[in-house]
Amino acid sequence: MPKRQSGNKKGKQSNFAKLSIFQPNKYKFKKTCPLSVKGAPEVDYKNIKLLKKYVSENGKILPSRITNVSQKKQRELSLSIKRARNLALI
Amino acid sequence: MNLYEHTIIARQDTSPSELKQLTEKYSKIVEKNDGEVVKTENWGLLNLSYLIKKNKKGSYIHFKIKGKGNVIDELEKNEAIDKKLLRYLTIRVKKFDLETSYFGKKEDSEKKESAKN
Repeated sequence: MPKRQSGNKKGKQSNFAKLSIFQPNKYKFKKTCPLSVKGAPEVDYKNIKLLKKYVSENGKILPSRITNVSQKKQRELSLSIKRARNLALI
Repeated sequence: MNLYEHTIIARQDTSPSELKQLTEKYSKIVEKNDGEVVKTENWGLLNLSYLIKKNKKGSYIHFKIKGKGNVIDELEKNEAIDKKLLRYLTIRVKKFDLETSYFGKKEDSEKKESAKN
């Protein structure tokens, strides 16, 4: 039971609310970190095209709860975004 | 010995010959301090995303340097005084990424994006 509850909470957070509580778990919207997948691009301060995806229109860093980036990658991202800012690339 | 990535931004009104002089000047400083310049990249004139000392554009030069910490000390000491430069950034890396070049190709894609908008 506690597992299901946590699943429900996650659904609300990412605006993918379950249609029914009795729906089997396999239909749950499962998101994984887009940067940890095999063949994902490397996070680097020179790769502006990638970094721009994780920055809002005002130039702020997007929180990982929106972009679904893992903790480790989020740290790398924020560091490289700050480096790119210093060089006036972003 | 450490591996460093070093980027400098020169003013927008520096001529190509002056840029060459700058790269030679700083490569010499590296070599004097027992360092080695593995690769230099010229990223060309890029738009700055915000004004730096009333400059809208800047010419980027990127070095990949192998050497000890005192090389970087000496480089940054000289660059802080240099009036032709706007910014510099040094980053220590564990491994050089010599294959992928993000700049050069990037300009084409940016043009495409701006055309779309």
